[in-house]
Amino acid sequence: MNHRSLAFRLSLWYSLLLSATFALVGTGMFYGLQQYLRSSLRDSLRRRSVQVEQILDQSRPDISDAEISDAINTRVSPEFNNRFVRVTRDPATLAYRSGPPADRSFDPKAVPPIPGDWLNSGVVRRTVTVQAQRLMVSATRIETPSGRYLIELGSSLASIDALQDRLLALLGLLLPALVVCAAGGGYLLVNWALRPVDRMSQTAEQMSMKNLEARLPVVPTGDALQRLSLSLNHMLKRLRDSVQNSRRFLADASHELRTPLTVVKGELQEIVAGVAVHGEMRERIGSVLEEVARLEHLVSGLLALSRFDAGEAKLEWSEVDLAALGESTSEQMRLIAEDRGVELESSTLEPTVVRGDRGRLKQVIVNLLDNAIRFTPRGGSVAVRTARDDLYSILEVHDTGVGIPTAALPHIFERFFRVDEARSREDGGAGLGLSIAKSICSAHGAEIEVASEVGSGSCFRLVFPRPETATGPRVSARANRSDAALRHKPQSFSVARAPATFSPGAASSASEVGAGGSSQPAPMP
Amino acid sequence: MRLLIVEDDRKLADFVARGLRAEGFAVDLAADGREGREHIDSYQYDLLILDLMLPLISGTELLRMVRRSNPTLPVLILTARDATDDKVKHFEAGADDYLTKPFDFAELVVRVKSLLRRTPVERADVILVSNLEVNRLTRQVRRGGQNIELTGKEYALLEYLLSSPSRVFTRTMILEHVWDQSFEGVTNIVDVYVRHLRRKVDDPFPVKLIHTVRGMGYCVREAQQSAEAE
Repeated sequence: MNHRSLAFRLSLWYSLLLSATFALVGTGMFYGLQQYLRSSLRDSLRRRSVQVEQILDQSRPDISDAEISDAINTRVSPEFNNRFVRVTRDPATLAYRSGPPADRSFDPKAVPPIPGDWLNSGVVRRTVTVQAQRLMVSATRIETPSGRYLIELGSSLASIDALQDRLLALLGLLLPALVVCAAGGGYLLVNWALRPVDRMSQTAEQMSMKNLEARLPVVPTGDALQRLSLSLNHMLKRLRDSVQNSRRFLADASHELRTPLTVVKGELQEIVAGVAVHGEMRERIGSVLEEVARLEHLVSGLLALSRFDAGEAKLEWSEVDLAALGESTSEQMRLIAEDRGVELESSTLEPTVVRGDRGRLKQVIVNLLDNAIRFTPRGGSVAVRTARDDLYSILEVHDTGVGIPTAALPHIFERFFRVDEARSREDGGAGLGLSIAKSICSAHGAEIEVASEVGSGSCFRLVFPRPETATGPRVSARANRSDAALRHKPQSFSVARAPATFSPGAASSASEVGAGGSSQPAPMP
Repeated sequence: MRLLIVEDDRKLADFVARGLRAEGFAVDLAADGREGREHIDSYQYDLLILDLMLPLISGTELLRMVRRSNPTLPVLILTARDATDDKVKHFEAGADDYLTKPFDFAELVVRVKSLLRRTPVERADVILVSNLEVNRLTRQVRRGGQNIELTGKEYALLEYLLSSPSRVFTRTMILEHVWDQSFEGVTNIVDVYVRHLRRKVDDPFPVKLIHTVRGMGYCVREAQQSAEAE
């Protein structure tokens, strides 16, 4: 249970409110009942008292105690009614005292007299405890022809107390149970009410720039939830439209540039190929032509990217062995490496088959190898490695080159990003190669990652989910991934991962790769 | 040989027409689909060069009409669209070849000649340029009587350059024919291989045969005329 969740907090708050309300109501009931019971007992005592008063009042002045006794027993019969009656004649003579009550709840003889001078003490009603029994005793003073009397009428409070105790027990059990039920029910209810929101967030979760067609489920509740889903859907539509517009613009622009480029290139080539132009002019036109070629690559790169963005790029799927592809591509690039005095190592790669577009994947490997060779100084080495485990097929391109500054790592897959403006531009790179590589990988459901350290080298890694585990969770297995290639590099590399959710991942990934490289034996078959 | 170019971009059409006329073809121009159809209905052409995005009648539409009325006319598509399924679609609709803008004019000429079944490339078993001799059957390379050992790629590169001596081959053309498109725009692989080829074919000899044409590419020819190698 999430302690900050809406459902939890709501249930908590109204459980507290409910408890407070119940406590108030319970207290009110308890004391209200007590008041009611006591006052009705008082009334009943009062009525008996009046009866006794009448007996004494109407009596002759010389009435005997036995006559009083008889009259009271006949008219009031306190024993049957479980009442206590005591009549005291001035100054302190006991005229009458009722016998033990029928229920034997108290002993009348043990009821203490009113302390001090009863005639003048103001005591009207008191509660006395007799043998652990509480009695309510009310006193009336009257003056009759036969003298002054104190009439005391009493009754045990046991039945009232018992009733109150039971009420207390009942409330004490029932109210907390009610609160618990209400809280639980409320929690479920809130969760149930929030389920549409859950569904909305799940749908939203699955959306990406490439999949802006999906819409949130609209809950027909006619309230804020429905309005929220509707307005989010409107927003999605506008977002999709604007994304589509910008993609269309990019595609159209790259497209429209092609025809004029053909003319410019063609005319210039014709001039150069002709015999009329010589010397410096020829060089200058050649230089312009080189720029035209760069423009051409730029345009086709942009068009390729816009196609990947729009999800329009068609891949020719087949089974591709990353090892074979890595080896053959390295073979083709070996001469370039030798030319630059860089050792290119790609022997005996572990076969690992993925589903993909051979041509596109080769394009990625060519790009990575070309970068690696370009940025590795003479005497260094570039290596291609493959690995696989239950979940992933991996191809890595390592170099012992200049490395990429940590600050630049998060950006190297961005379009037109160059680590070192001057150097890359000189080499003719447009700054689109890695973006295209990333797009190709994404279209394959693969990820491209980079680890690098300035001065030590870089490692680019393509991670393909194995077909049978394509839908499996990625995160759990990450730590176990065979870090074959990084094993020999105990330094902790900084890592950038291609998907845009970059910032929080950078630091943690770095430690992950570092740990994997130094302490974990690679679980390779 | 009479060709029709249906292309709405005036400058591109002019440039292509001029180049093809220089190659000895008779060239007509049509600026939109309807004009193109009228031309096809009125004259007998040996080849149709067709842009896809045309006003009035689209190139795709025109291609279908041509295929109905004139099934044997070779059609070369010229387009800025380079998506694979676009190509497949048009091959299915009856296109014979496909060239993506921006193309190299030399490439266009090669394709045109190939479509017209005029041997665009050197078909002889032994190609001879100056004292360089390449036997296409045995893949043997000799210069001035000396054997030259070449690797597979070096041989493929040399043979391609010799397929049309004294024509300039652009890097893009070389990449597409000797390697594959994966290398396009990325590496300087062509220059590296040409350098190695030169080391073996040209360096030991006083007369250089492999020439660099700045901004364009490479060609093989005897060093006379405008030869200012590098």
